Formats: sequence, C-alpha cells, structure tokens
Amino acid sequence: MFWYPLDNAAKIYPATISNESPAVFRLSAILANPVKIKSFLKAVSKAQKRFPYFKVQLKKGFFWYYLEHKPFRFPVEADRAEFCRKFSNAELLMRILVRENQISVEFSHVLTDGVGAFEFLKTILVLYSLELGVQIPLDFEYLKPGDPIQEVEYQDSYLHYFKEEIPPMVKRSKSFHLPWPLKSLPRLRVKNFFVSVDEVKNLAADKAVSINDYLVSVYLYLLQEIYEECKIPKRSKKFKHIRIQVPINLRNIFPSKTMRNFSLFVMPEIDLRLGHYSFDEIIKTVYHQIRLESDEKLINKNISRNVGSEKKLYVKSMPLFLKSFILKMIYYSLGTKQYSGVITNLGRVDLPSEMAGLIDHFIFTPPPPNKMLKVCCGIIGFGDQLVLSFGNITKSTKLEEKFIQFFKEQGVQVSDEPVKKQ
Amino acid sequence: MTNLSKNNKMKICPNCGVELDKSMNFCPLCGEAVMDGNNENIEYIRLRKQKQNEVLSNPYQKLSSKQKRKLFWEISAIVLVSGIIITLMIDLIQGGGVSWSKYSMMVIAVLFANISVFCFWLKRINLLIIGSLFSTSLLFILLDIFNHNIGWGIELGIPLLFFVYLIVYTLLLLIRRTGERELNLLTYSLIATGLLCVCIEGVISLYINHVFKLHWSLIVIACIVPVSSLLLYIQYRLKKGTDLKRFFHI
Repeated sequence: MFWYPLDNAAKIYPATISNESPAVFRLSAILANPVKIKSFLKAVSKAQKRFPYFKVQLKKGFFWYYLEHKPFRFPVEADRAEFCRKFSNAELLMRILVRENQISVEFSHVLTDGVGAFEFLKTILVLYSLELGVQIPLDFEYLKPGDPIQEVEYQDSYLHYFKEEIPPMVKRSKSFHLPWPLKSLPRLRVKNFFVSVDEVKNLAADKAVSINDYLVSVYLYLLQEIYEECKIPKRSKKFKHIRIQVPINLRNIFPSKTMRNFSLFVMPEIDLRLGHYSFDEIIKTVYHQIRLESDEKLINKNISRNVGSEKKLYVKSMPLFLKSFILKMIYYSLGTKQYSGVITNLGRVDLPSEMAGLIDHFIFTPPPPNKMLKVCCGIIGFGDQLVLSFGNITKSTKLEEKFIQFFKEQGVQVSDEPVKKQ
Repeated sequence: MTNLSKNNKMKICPNCGVELDKSMNFCPLCGEAVMDGNNENIEYIRLRKQKQNEVLSNPYQKLSSKQKRKLFWEISAIVLVSGIIITLMIDLIQGGGVSWSKYSMMVIAVLFANISVFCFWLKRINLLIIGSLFSTSLLFILLDIFNHNIGWGIELGIPLLFFVYLIVYTLLLLIRRTGERELNLLTYSLIATGLLCVCIEGVISLYINHVFKLHWSLIVIACIVPVSSLLLYIQYRLKKGTDLKRFFHI
C-alpha cells in the first residue's frame, strides 16, 4: 500500500475545506442518448487499474496531510444533482456520477486539477465509446488501460520544476468583492449558459484576442459595472482594484505529464483609482497582463514562492493543527482577499470525430466559491457549444444577468439550454 | 428524449434515467426495481413520481432545519408558559401569595432561555455558550437571593459553572478541530475531567478556607496522566501498522 505527500497546490485545501466550500469540482459529459449502464460499468471497470494514484484517501500525519492508497474501486453513484459534495474521510477523493444522459466526475482539488480530472473522464468516455462499438483512431492519445503507469503521472511537478533562490512574489493589495448577501443554506446555486463557440470566437477575433482573454475582460468589465453601481459606503477607497484569478495549465509551459495538480494562476487587474475603463481598454490590458504573467520566468517566481515556503524548516516542523490554522488565515489574506472573481477555462475539448455524435456537450462546474468570493465561473467548449457555468452562493443573480445582457448586446445568443445541432 | 418516445425495446431506469439491459430487473446504478414492459414501466414511473411528490409535499419535511428549530421553540414556549401560569395559579389558590412557585417559575424561565439560545444560536457556538452561561448564572443568583442571600451563588455556584462551561467548550472545540474520534475523544475527555476536578476543588477550597489548596484532585490527575499518555501512545505510535514514516513525514 503506497502513500504520497500532497502536492504544493493541494497542501492548502485540507485546512480550508468545509461543507460549504469543499474544494470539489465537477466535469460532466452530456451525451446524445441515455447512458447504457451495462456498457458504462464495463468501461469503468477497465479503467480501474489504470489510475491507482486516484485511489487514495486523505490522512492526517503529525506534520502534514498525506494521501494513502486504498484498494477500493472507483465509486459509481446515481447522480442526485447535488453539486460538489464534500468527500468524507472514509471516501476516495473522487466519484463518478451518472444520471440519464449525463456522466460526471467530481474530484477534490487535493487530488488533481481540471486537466487531470479531464484526462480521467476522457479515458472513461473513450472506453465507453469502444464498448458501444465506436471506432477510435489508433493515434488518438488517451491513457489506455493496458499502458504502463508512468512515474511522471503521479509526480509532484511543482517540486520537480522548483528552482532555488528565486525572489518571492510581492503581496498584492486587497481587491473589491461582490457586496451581495449570502443565500441561506444550502447556498450553492449552479447556473449554466450556452453560447456558440464560433460567435464568441468572432467577437474575440474582432478585438484580436483569444476567447479566454475576451471572457476575462467581460468579467472584469461587469465587475467594474457592479462596483460603480454600489452605494458609496461599499465602494471602499481601499478596495479599488478589481482582479480576476485565471488558472493556467502549467503543462503547457513545462513538459509535465502529471495527473496531479499542476496549475497556477495569473491575475489580470484594473485599478479603479485611475478612473473608469472602457471595454476596449480592459481587453488591451488583460491581453498584455495575461501574456506577461504567463512568462516562464514569472511562473517560476510564483512556484518559488509557494514551494519555497513549504520547504522552510520552521514550517515543516510545525505540528499539523497549528499549520492548518495558519494556512487557513493565509488562504484568505494572501488568497481570496487579493482577487474579486475566478474564471476557469478548460478550453475546447478535442475528441475524435467518431465520438462527436455520442457527446452533445461538456459542463465544467468550478469548486463552490467561498463566502468572500461568492461567485465563480467555469468554462468549457465542445463542438460549437461553449458552456459557462456559474457557481453562486449569494441571493443575487446580477452577475449572470449582466453576462447574458452583455452577450446579447454583442449579438450573441445566450441560452439556458444547449443549442440543438442542426 | 422521453421514455415515451423511445422504442419499446429500450428499458429506462425510472429513478436515475439510465438505459438498462432488457434482462435487468434492477438498476445496477441505483438499485431501483424495474418492471418489464414499457407500458407498465411508464405507469410505474408515474406512480413513483406521484409518491415522491407526496413525500415532498409533507409540510414538516418542507421546513428547513432553522424553521424546524423555530417551531420547536414556539411549542416549548407554549408548554413552558403554560407551566408557569399553572404553578402560579395553584400557588395563589393554595397559599394566597407567591411562595414555592417562584422556584419552579425561575427554573422554567432559565430552561426557556437555554432552549432559546440553542434554537437561535446553534450555529454560533460562542454566543450559545455565553447565553447559556449567563442565564444559568442568573438562576444561581436568584436561588441565592431567595434563600436569604447567603452568598454561595456568586462565590461558589457561578465560578464552578464557569469552569464547567469553559472546559466543556474547550473540549468540544478540540474535538471539532482535530476531527479525531474514539481514542482521542476518550483521552481528551479524561484530561478534561481531571482539570475539572482541580477547578472544583480549587473553587471549593477558596470558598470555604479562603486559600487555594489541592488534595484529592491531585490524586485524580495522577491517575489520569498515565492512562491518557497510554491512550495517546496507542493513538499515535500504534496507528495503522506503525508506519511512522508516513505519519511523521516532514
């Protein structure tokens, strides 16, 4: 029975996890037809041995949490549409959920990030397609059940790419947060919106930016509107920065094949002390900030800050209960206080054309936001369907409404339901 | 795509909506029993949904836990206020004035105050503890006043009550923070009992002799320390096949 320490990004989560903010995200594939359960269970069965590093439970050590392998099978459950439930101590840190024509996987961020989870879902979907008799091209890359499990798959890539003696990051000022009151329990409300990839792509192309840059800019622009609509006492002078946390997949920067967490984030911002920003101004600054912050050297600086602190002797030798307490404070002071929103874009899903008829669209539901952040957004595209999934714990749906309104003003149709293929 | 629009050969689980094999009598995903034949199946689905809706339409089940607590509080208020009125009436009829009923009224009032803090501040543990401590302390003071003001309420009762609340609160906090059960729970409870004994003896000694002297509580502590140490040792040293490398990895 093997075990391994938590990776650098995962270390903070156990200290901050609660029922309301469980650090669990969901990836769903919505199929064209109801799931054939017999074939699906066969597909899952074939994948059982391929991902031993996902068959782990979170355990408490004296100094750190760690992940301990358990000889369990991946749990396949009927999906009762309860999003992102916290994993109990007796469970693995992932689950597979099935309902009607929907296959979902939920993962704890302690275990992996969206990319790792998607690779897992991809394998399950390919195996399911094969069970249904779909021919998958031989050159299509996925983690095949028969292939040997490589060490790089469960590598802590933060440690691997960590470089000593890089100066740490400078702490940023506090940012503006949505002013709305929280909804009563259960707080989380998930709302999905469907837009055409091509239409958004055209809008982005008009501004000579990527879809990601465009959506981040829209988010910032709308937060600026909300800020300006706030009554004066809530528009505190201190919090005149609006920042969006945009996770980036480090596997695109470093040649890592890890299935564990390996993402960091960039934080494009606008400083409202400098006055009102037009949408074009925001697009321009977002475009440059994202490119600047995604630079390998700056990413190294970020990794250095995160990994460097866990390597300090006084941090290492601190008992876990004390460490958890401090990590919780850091999570809010260095983490959430610095940004006003999160937008996680998993990009456009690439699957063989043979599978395209089987799957209608994907949905990425980000981890429920905490009480400070209040709203977060997950994005994923497949075919011509771009799905924006908002997790909201407030009484207001203003941000979502503003998104719809914005796209409508740009001539893009936004729908609550997937756009049917012609 | 609805069940109706499917061809007759397709069998859909009425609960989770996945497609089943013709030979399946139960859904392997959710365990739902499935009847043969689509037409019967549709009727079954309809009846099942109706049954589910009936369960959901039960007014008590529709209430949130907060509303349920409020309902409990309202019922308690009615019962307790009735209790106060009845005891007062009996006392007045029997003796022509308020005599013994003041004790029952006082206890009921404090009980009601405790129920109120529990119902409204269940999620705010600090307020709950302070509210409960305050109301029970008030009971002690009133009992003292009604008993010719001999002074035990403030000097003895409230300090003892304070330490009981403090130790129980710390214990609960510790158990919640560490998230451990079984042996840890026992160990922490033993240590808390030992500390409580020290506090009780200390307060009593100060009240009676006006000096802080410990005797019997030290014996309790002396007994508890080795037992707790042994339990902690078992908890940490012998945990999960003595793999200390993973437990103490740094």
